[in-house]
Amino acid sequence: MRKLLAFSGVDPERLLLKWVSSAEGPRFAQVVTEFTEKIRILGPSPLADSRTAKQPTAGMASEAS
Amino acid sequence: MIEQVREHVRKLLTDGQISAFLGLRNQDGNIAPHIFEKPEDLDEGFTLGDVEGRPPARYPLAKLLMTIVSADPDKKFGILVRGCDERALYELVRWNQLPGAAYRFVKVGFACPQELADEHECRKPFPDECVAGEKAQPVMNASVKEIDAKALPERLEYWSRVFDRCVKCYGCRDICPVCFCNVCTLEENALIRTGDLPPENPIFHLTRAAHMAGRCIDCNLCTEVCPAEIPLRTLYKKVAEIVQEDFGYVTGEPGDAKSPLNFLGPDPGHTSAHD
Ligand code: SF4
Ligand code: SF4
Repeated sequence: MRKLLAFSGVDPERLLLKWVSSAEGPRFAQVVTEFTEKIRILGPSPLADSRTAKQPTAGMASEAS
Repeated sequence: MIEQVREHVRKLLTDGQISAFLGLRNQDGNIAPHIFEKPEDLDEGFTLGDVEGRPPARYPLAKLLMTIVSADPDKKFGILVRGCDERALYELVRWNQLPGAAYRFVKVGFACPQELADEHECRKPFPDECVAGEKAQPVMNASVKEIDAKALPERLEYWSRVFDRCVKCYGCRDICPVCFCNVCTLEENALIRTGDLPPENPIFHLTRAAHMAGRCIDCNLCTEVCPAEIPLRTLYKKVAEIVQEDFGYVTGEPGDAKSPLNFLGPDPGHTSAHD
């Protein structure tokens, strides 16, 4: 997945796949906190602009109602 | 070339080695897949797909065979194959979509000319056994190297621009000889919002690309049919490269190796045509 992201121009560092058992609550919290920190440092995704611009389309509004 | 193929098929039908032949027929200038049942049918419009002044018409015959074979379990069929059709057959066999393959169909192969191989950047423009045609040289992945040479932001800019042309006609999926699932992620609203044009990018295209891992046999039909001229196959070629590097799996080869993405799933012999 990371290699495919890199090929499409998205920083592979933005993807994390980790196996955490349902019995490991604290570890899950730690993994997520660390990754959130990392993403914060990387800054907003270059895809964010196009996505937020497209969110409030008519299609979405009618589906929600 | 066409005469050699036609006479070969005629013999198979006359000798009773096959009950029918899945090939292509030219009807009033339109070429479409056709099942030839009698030797004399071959005298009406039998074609290899050639059209004056255009690349030859190709269809995912392997996928059609899947349906035909499951609808008529007692018969043995012949099928017209180029290199790509044969790769699709090999891959469908590995994915348990053509049960009893060895005694269910007979391939009638012919080689593509170099010109076509170049145009499609074809990795093997001929089947293992050819009734007709000269084997052309395989062509390597120049389109992938072109993208690899770009910097990350340039790649994103490039793909965003081409993906945004997508009209979500699902043509790429429908024509694909190895897209055989009955339920398609691309139509799941929870995963990819339906009703949006262009579709959510790059999610729509990367999802299809990920699903082609260990499956795409590199026939280039998707790119050929795409009305928006999106170079889809370049993406899938890259995916194939990754699967080969990381798992050592190459699609479209004979044998019963399992794709690294096919370890879970239904028992051998189950085909989606039976669902
Ligand atoms: S064939 Fe082209 S336009 Fe149609 S869904 Fe596929 S990528 Fe989009
Ligand atoms: S090249 Fe396109 S149509 Fe052909 S097998 Fe790959 S994804 Fe399917």
